[in-house]
Amino acid sequence: MVLSQKLHEAFKGTVERFTGPRTVSAFKEKGVLSVNEFILSGDNLVSKCPTWSWESGEPSKRKSYLPPGKQYLITRNVPCLRRAASIEEEYEAAGGEVLLEDDDDDDGWLATQWNPKETKSSDEENLPSMENLEISKKNKTIQSISSYFGAGEEEDDIPDMEEYEDPDNIIETDPATLQSTYLVAQEPDDDNILRTRTYDVSITYDQYFQTPRVWLTGYDESRMLLQPELVLEDVSQDHARKTVTIEDHPHLSGKHASVHPCRHAAVMKKIIDVLMSRGVEPEVDKYLFLFLKFVASVIPTIEYDYTMDFDLGSSSH
Amino acid sequence: MAAESSSPSAILQFEAFQSSIDEGFWTRLSSLKLDTLGIDQSPIPITGFYAPYSHPGVSIPLKLLGESLPPEAGEETPVSPRDRNKCLVPGTLYNTNTYENYKATITKGLLQVEANKIWEDINSGKAEDDCRVLSRFFLITFADLKNWKFHYVFAFPALKLDPPATLISLRPAAKCFTLQEAESLEAACNQWRKSADVPFFIVSIASDSNVAIRPLRDFAVCQGDGQKLLFGFYDPCCLDDHPGWPLRNFLALICARWNMEKVRFLCYREKHGFADLELSLVGEALISAPQDLTKIMCRLAESAA
Repeated sequence: MVLSQKLHEAFKGTVERFTGPRTVSAFKEKGVLSVNEFILSGDNLVSKCPTWSWESGEPSKRKSYLPPGKQYLITRNVPCLRRAASIEEEYEAAGGEVLLEDDDDDDGWLATQWNPKETKSSDEENLPSMENLEISKKNKTIQSISSYFGAGEEEDDIPDMEEYEDPDNIIETDPATLQSTYLVAQEPDDDNILRTRTYDVSITYDQYFQTPRVWLTGYDESRMLLQPELVLEDVSQDHARKTVTIEDHPHLSGKHASVHPCRHAAVMKKIIDVLMSRGVEPEVDKYLFLFLKFVASVIPTIEYDYTMDFDLGSSSH
Repeated sequence: MAAESSSPSAILQFEAFQSSIDEGFWTRLSSLKLDTLGIDQSPIPITGFYAPYSHPGVSIPLKLLGESLPPEAGEETPVSPRDRNKCLVPGTLYNTNTYENYKATITKGLLQVEANKIWEDINSGKAEDDCRVLSRFFLITFADLKNWKFHYVFAFPALKLDPPATLISLRPAAKCFTLQEAESLEAACNQWRKSADVPFFIVSIASDSNVAIRPLRDFAVCQGDGQKLLFGFYDPCCLDDHPGWPLRNFLALICARWNMEKVRFLCYREKHGFADLELSLVGEALISAPQDLTKIMCRLAESAA
């Protein structure tokens, strides 16, 4: 699996080097996007949903076929209140079906939860309670502490810095006194603050598949980077490790989880066909809105999608 | 979500600023250290990013990315179109060579030096021209490159009001305005967000319900004419009963420069990227004179990544 993935990456890289990026539109025929259409659709997403921004990414990784300031799209700090795995368990416990697999081919994952509103509403009913939230104490090597130093002229009522020169010391010896002098006085009680994972969701242009591609960068409850392996807990379990893989981000440092784009064009083509069969003429600048809806079935608990309020041209409602 | 818990009495409490550092920052710091810095431990100016609260339930952290560090020699200059989701905050990086140096750098003296920068910028009037300096932060790091381990302390200095400000009221902004004012305020905020990256501002509401947003340097102009004034800031905090950290130094400025005792403030927050007055808060705080603002407190968060 890993080897084949590597081989494929090498192959893809070679193909990308010898073939230019797509310039002719084949959006309705094949469900793919040209570079210009990607930018057009991205501009539309940014203007309608301003939590999304264009980014330039790392200068050394910049793609020449994209404008320097529009290399990829990102929305940051998106909450993820519950693990996808736990939601599926609950569905199953309730006798509900999680996945509707088509038998004929691999397109089944389109059918999973095509109506994101349903997922959403069930989420909202089960508003997260504190019990559901994992307070991250798992990773012992990462300590995130907050402490308070007072400094000023009246040396007397100030904790002696000598005691605190060693940060370990701060954690062990003193939080109580510091809290009683500062925390309670000027900061709200920590217990009132919801602790949850968050995600940066980014969309890049995949030159080989000629489609957008989604990447997930996770952060734990104290905003420390999540290992990509742990990100898989927030992916629909039917997709973890299959359609969702961990790879190098094309514009950022490090390994990130990504929804593999090999089926994207086929799925988008199906969505477009459905729209057209309803007499709706899909517009290419709405491509990313449609795309994000289908990605929602893969990452059901990451609440990034605000596009559902927008008219996609559908006349079905 | 959060309970009504403004006890004890009604001291104004702020949610601490969170911090978050991306892998790109560490990658870049490593190559900067290897290629350029060597054993140089001089402070380096860096840039942090934040935005107003926008996604339900989670406060926005101050974020460090690869581009937070200065570009390396010979590198393409970073393309940075103004990005409404990345409001810039100036900061200073103290990168140390050894773990011992790192620990020795975390001193009261340094906290004082950094916080004094804010105090000086307030007193010189610089903070009214470039209000981003009010949220100035600093970072002490030790990059253990052999083990790819990074020790760091993130600090947000705050000028301490003494005695602390007391809270008179704090309510959703939607409940504090007439319908006309609310509409005008929303429109003005959205326009402000689109056209500028200025996280502290003055909201002035004229008697005809027309709302104008102005930069801090216009304070004198905003006086009189029966206008209602509010001091607004991009609030990264998600709590409905507390303002976020950036208000602290803003209050210090208001107190030190404009001598106000009763301050009305607007915690500007968004929903889906647009002004939302249900989520935004309007508060009223009392700053009692005399104030000794030279006291400094600092929020430190230490971690290893």
